[in-house]
Parts: sequence; C-alpha cells; structure tokens
Amino acid sequence: MLAKIAFRNIFRNRRRTLITLLVLVMGAAGLILFGGYKEMNFWGLRESTIRNRLGHLQLYRKGYLSADSQKPLEYGLEDVAEIRVAVEKDPRVAMTAAQITFMGLISNGEKSETFLGTAVEPAKDRQMRSQRLESGRELSDGEMDALMVGRGLARSMNVKIGDYLTLMTTTVTGSLNAMDFQVVGTFMTGVKEYDDRAIKVPLSGAHYLLNTKKIEKLLVMLKQTEDTDAVMADVQALATSRNWPIEMRPWSDLAGFYHQVVLIFNGIFGFIGTIVFVIVVLSVANTIMMNIFERTREIGTLMAIGTKRKRIWALFLLEGAMIGLIGGVLGLVFGAVLGQVINYAQIQLPPPPGYTAGYQLRILMRPSILVSSFALSIVTATLSSIYPAFKASRLNIVDALGHI
Amino acid sequence: MTDSVIALRGVRKCYRLGKVEVPALSGIDLEIQAGEFVALAGPSGSGKTTLLNLIGCLDKPTAGQILLDGGDITQTDLDRLADIRASKIGFIFQTFNLLPVLTAFENVEYPLLLSGVPRKQRQERVREWLKHVGLTGQAEQRPDQLSGGQRQRVAIARAMVTRPVLVLADEPTANLDSETAAQILDLLNEINRETGVTFLFATHDPAIISRAHRRIRLRDGRIAADERNHQLIEGVSNAR
Repeated sequence: MLAKIAFRNIFRNRRRTLITLLVLVMGAAGLILFGGYKEMNFWGLRESTIRNRLGHLQLYRKGYLSADSQKPLEYGLEDVAEIRVAVEKDPRVAMTAAQITFMGLISNGEKSETFLGTAVEPAKDRQMRSQRLESGRELSDGEMDALMVGRGLARSMNVKIGDYLTLMTTTVTGSLNAMDFQVVGTFMTGVKEYDDRAIKVPLSGAHYLLNTKKIEKLLVMLKQTEDTDAVMADVQALATSRNWPIEMRPWSDLAGFYHQVVLIFNGIFGFIGTIVFVIVVLSVANTIMMNIFERTREIGTLMAIGTKRKRIWALFLLEGAMIGLIGGVLGLVFGAVLGQVINYAQIQLPPPPGYTAGYQLRILMRPSILVSSFALSIVTATLSSIYPAFKASRLNIVDALGHI
Repeated sequence: MTDSVIALRGVRKCYRLGKVEVPALSGIDLEIQAGEFVALAGPSGSGKTTLLNLIGCLDKPTAGQILLDGGDITQTDLDRLADIRASKIGFIFQTFNLLPVLTAFENVEYPLLLSGVPRKQRQERVREWLKHVGLTGQAEQRPDQLSGGQRQRVAIARAMVTRPVLVLADEPTANLDSETAAQILDLLNEINRETGVTFLFATHDPAIISRAHRRIRLRDGRIAADERNHQLIEGVSNAR
C-alpha cells in the first residue's frame, strides 16, 4: 500500500515530476556520454600505446632495468631464438618483435642533427603500424641500409626520398662508427616532439652500425590486452624453469603518458560527476520538499489515523527512490540512444595537444558506466529525499491538520 | 467508572504565541461513558478542537491526566500513541481528509493495514462498511469523483472499520449542505445505536446539538454547561 501511495503520488503533479525527471535523465545521460567518451579515449590510447609502441610485455636481459650501462647494448639480449619460439607457442601471443633504440648524429653533409633511432624488424614493424607513412614507402626485409625519417626531422634536414644520409653513433665497444643509409620514406607518429627527432632503420643495419648481434628488447604482442598479467606470469615461470637470463615489464609499467591521461580525465569526470550529483540532489530535494509542503494536511491525516512517523518517512523516501528509478531507466535509454547517434554521426574532433592529427568522437558503451549512471540516479534521488522525508515525519500532527 | 471511555482530570492546555502563554483549556474535568453520543459546543476559540485533539491523542496536555479506555495516555510515547489512535479511535474531519490517490475502497482499507489485519478479513470488513454507508457501487472511485456527502461517508467507513471504542468528529457536517448533513447525522446516529461506539463531536451545528444525548458547552477553555437529553437517551435504551 505504501508503494502504491508513493507511486500514485509521483503522477499527481505531472509537470513537477516531469521537470525532476528531466534533470535526472539529463544527469544520467550526460554521465553515460561523458563516461563513454572517456572510456573510448582510454581504450584508444591504451591500445595504440601498446600496439604501436610498447607491446604488451617487454623482455630484457637481466640487469637491464637496474644497471647503469656505460656502452650501448651492454645489457642487450643475445640468442633470443629459443625464447621467441617458446613464447610464440602460447596461443594468446600474437607475435614477438626485436628492437634496439640508439642515439647519434644524422648528417646530410651540410647539416647535422641529433636523432633518436629505432631499429626494427621491418615485417614486424609494419604489423605494429607504429607510424603513419607520409611519403615514400616502409622498410622492407632484406635491405640493410634503408632509412625512414620522422616528418619534422625530414623537414629540417630538407630530405628527399632516395637521398643518402650518414648516421654516426657509438658501437658496443665504445668506438665511433658511421654508415650511409638511403631514405626510403618519411613518417609521422602524431607526437610532434618525437617526429622532430625520430628515425627508423632495419635491425640488420643497426647491427652493422653498432657492431653487434645483440638486441635491446623483445616486445611481446598479445591478441587480448586483458591477458597481459596471465601471460606475463607464464613467461616468468618459463624463464625460471629454463634458466633464461631475462627480466620483463608489462605495458602498464611503461605507459606513463597513458596513466597521466587517465588520471586527468578521471579527475575531470569526478568533478563533473560531483556537479551533476549536486544539481540532481538539489532538484529532487526541492521537488520532495514542495510535495511535502503541499501535502502537509494529508500527512497530518495519515498520522492522525495511526500512521507511525517512520512510515511517513518511508513514504517520501520511496517517492524519491521511485522518481530516481524512473529517471535512471529513461536516462539509460536516452544516453544509450544518444551515444549511438553520436557514433553513427562520425563527428571529427580537432587534434589533442601535442598531436598533429584529429580523431573521431566516439562513445564507448561500457556496462560499468551504464550501471553506475543508473545507480547514481536512484541513489541521488533517494539520498536527496532523506532530509525532506525526515522533516515530514517530524511534523506536529495538530499543526499539520490545520495547514491549508 | 469501569464504563467510562474517556476520563479527564484537571486537564489544562496552554499554547505559546511568541512570548505570551495563551491558555486554551484551563481545568477540564470530564467523563464520557461508553456508547454516549456527545456534542461539544461552544463559540470559536472556546477550546473545542483543542479538547478533541487531546482526547484523540494528537496532542499532550500541559497539565492534568487523560484516561482513554482505562489507560493513561498522558505519559505515552508518540509511537505508542499512533498505535492507540489506529486501534481505538476513529477520526472524522470537517474537510473529509481522504487520501486523494487512493480509491474509496483503499481509503477504508488503509487503517486496517496499519493494524496488520490479514488480507481476506480486511477486504470483508471494508466491503461490509462500504455497504453500511451505502457506497458499494463507488468502491473503485477516487475522492475527486465523489460528492461531499459521499466523501464523508467514506471517511465514516474509514473511522469505523477498525472497530474503535471512540469516534471523534470535528465539525463533520460543516462542509455539507443541510440535507446531506442531516443524512450524515442519521447515519452516525444509527451507527451509534447499532454498534454502541462512543461519539464525540465538536460542532456549531444546531442539528447535531439537538440530537446529541449529551451537550457539553465550552466557554473560554472551561466547561460552562453539561446537560443530558433524557428523552433521547431513553429512546435509545428502549430501542436497544
């Protein structure tokens, strides 16, 4: 009966209920959209960070992470064939890729610049799609002296496809070495500071230049990012049992930028969520308070004929909760539909700071966000009814009965 | 003494208006026996409603003692008072005070829910009382679909359905035309005769006053007169 009374009372002042519901619906839908946008950015940034750059796991020679090496590749991995075969046998693993990063000077005979070089296995690197080709072509297997240059660096060196550039760096023994590479393409990663310094060469060319057969690290790519911890534990166990002199890091330990973005976005999300929460609380509290004011004599009557105070309290709390429930359901539907419409509309956003390319506005419908927006609607509506409902239950019966 | 439904001893009630204490009742001694049909008359501000509120466990006296059905209610806590109101007292209001969102049936059923009467029994009793007040056909209508007289009948059924020992009515006919008021009064009279439940009215209505077995006149918070209509009382005794 209490629920019946509460439910019917919701539809007594339709306009007021409608406005309250609108606030709840907008609040819930807003959180769904913003939350979905946030999740999409997290997901996109995470996957691109992993797949284009870091890999899910990175394996190094034991000591690499803690030692302060004096010479390049002092802590480099040797004879990784056995490790690669064993790790790639795991069905969750998509591939492994060997890499060396090195620094030095790049020169066109007139001008020299410092560079950040990455030596890659060309086929694997193409699979990782770690860069966008701007001109020319990607590196291919079997060539040693091919070179790709970052967009900014290419511009400052005035590089054309087919030009020869000299790379100069320190070998593993500490002596200087230089070698000519032919430019086959230019690329961009989207991060300007990196593109101003970056070059890519085949692993075989780097081995020759650095005078070694070692690699710096082995990237392990998985099919599913969610498997990272499990695979890492298995590889660790494998390494222990076979006495491989390696150590490893998961992507989450290496993705500092990703974690910063998550932190900032979550902060903004929390701030906006709090504002929405406060608006909803005030709005629902106002509605319930007005309901109580209008129904003072009714409350007096209910109490006079023997309704206890806690039931009066429960009645108005229930009304708030029901409004929250209706608002939550409508907000869920509205938010989900609007999210789909936005995804379908393919709205383009300008590039984020530090990037050179824009991206599409997409809303990721995570169940956790849908559920929490829905729950937030019910919880806020109920919470905001607590005090007005309490006031109603404390009304003096005689005064309430005399209320016009 | 064992028959008295209400007993008041030296009851006083003061209200605070700002810094001034306004006495509403100053020393009421009163006893009402079971089955009486009592009118509480007096000019506005004489304390009728205040007295009704005190007897109805809606308010507490500043001083004195009130016994309801043999029990002292002056020291009772609020929740217990709610229980007493739900089980022993029926209320009829000037403005009917039905719950607008409930049907006539649900309005009558509500107090039975409070006292935890099982569903089947509840529905039987509601039907019985709706029939008694002549509203069987209007059971599913909401108050705004009923006339004033019909609404007051629902309110009477709601007051009676819990089988109270006492029904308190504050100006029950004041919002009705004289014909409807007379019908309502007949109905109350009949219920009093049939069930023996005690009725106490606060009223200005000469029709009620003239048909009451006992008239208590209040003036300035005191009982100015307390007279019995022996003719009517004998009539009732003979009818029983």
